[in-house]
Amino acid sequence: MSFTDEQLERYSRNIILKEVGGKGQKKLLNGRVLIIGAGGLGAPAAMYLAAAGVGHLGLADADRVDLSNLQRQIIHTTSDVGLPKVESARLTIKALNPDVTVQTLEGLVTAENVSSLIKDYDFIIDGTDNFPAKFLINDACVIEGKPFSHAGIIRFQGQLITYIPHQGPCYRCLFPAPPPPDAVPTCRQAGVIGAMAGVIGSLQAMEAVKYLCGIGKPLTGSLLTYDALSMEFRKIKVTKRATCPVCGDNPTIVQPIDYEAPSCDLKP
Amino acid sequence: MELIVSGVKKNYDGALTVTQLLAVEKVATPEYVTVSINEELVDQAAFETHLLADGDQVEFLYFMGGGRG
Amino acid sequence: MPNKTLPPPDSTVDITEVVCPVTFVKVKVALDDLEPGQILSVRLNDGEPVENVPRSLKDEGHRVLKLSANGDGTYNLLVEKGQE
Repeated sequence: MSFTDEQLERYSRNIILKEVGGKGQKKLLNGRVLIIGAGGLGAPAAMYLAAAGVGHLGLADADRVDLSNLQRQIIHTTSDVGLPKVESARLTIKALNPDVTVQTLEGLVTAENVSSLIKDYDFIIDGTDNFPAKFLINDACVIEGKPFSHAGIIRFQGQLITYIPHQGPCYRCLFPAPPPPDAVPTCRQAGVIGAMAGVIGSLQAMEAVKYLCGIGKPLTGSLLTYDALSMEFRKIKVTKRATCPVCGDNPTIVQPIDYEAPSCDLKP
Repeated sequence: MELIVSGVKKNYDGALTVTQLLAVEKVATPEYVTVSINEELVDQAAFETHLLADGDQVEFLYFMGGGRG
Repeated sequence: MPNKTLPPPDSTVDITEVVCPVTFVKVKVALDDLEPGQILSVRLNDGEPVENVPRSLKDEGHRVLKLSANGDGTYNLLVEKGQE
């Protein structure tokens, strides 16, 4: 594969980086990233990955664009209200960069479809807003041996960690089981500043770019936390739990499980 | 006893278990918080009995669920 | 630079039709297709390209062998690809 002049110009800021170069750009163009959740985190992640020239993006989301989404979900615009989020996101991505092929799933990611969905991708971004989905994505990625970026945001706080097979802990090492429905607030109930989604979703995109290019050090073995009010980033070292039910020594979870979603997350 | 809690050095009177530290630090929903001591994750079942030692580095990890909706 | 005969280049690239930063980008991509020790010939314009491209190449560990004026406002640069 050789670059067109237009690609050389479009991706010049990537290629000019010693760590990326033409080879890294080709890896990006051949790269496949699945973004689960085309919302607060998925919007900036998808846009930066599309802009960087990640050639194949998958988007999964069951919702339609709502006016209350636009405060942070910058991949959607006012005229997209009412459209399926994956369709609205696909249109934005195609307008941003026609090099990118977009595959969409308009629907919920479930224990039944998650494994076949992630199978074709190199890296997965968890941009979901609820714990059943986060545990489902974690378990499926561990079982299928797929690297992924976990993130969560609420109010003025965000956190993320990267899982790479056989390196460091998985999300379930940190949190062995999801909290009961409605025991812990999600950002729908508690609020969040849009730029928080931008900061954390962009960091997820950065992890995907690094992974695809094979450069730098992934955020494995540390949970990066961000507090916007004190403007503090902290890297908390975390180690694998031998008793982890999915990636531990004697796993008891050998296939993805659906947990019941909290009632308020079932409706838009 | 001196502990480093969430990166900050603090002094505490007397011996403390993890459960007691969670109470002293007024951690919200302590039943859903993960605790790491000196970079090792502690089993929830051990919170009541695990006594913290002088100089321990303690971190609280919180569920953070937002992102999509 | 000693005036000895250099081996013929393994590849050539013309960057006179593009501007910074695509100038350097085209050279980098052309070097990607070569093995360390192989030689690339670059045709480039006077001014900013002649000032910056050889320097950027050196910064990335390549060896600039020769820079010569073509007499028409363009230059010819011979660069040996460095180790990756």
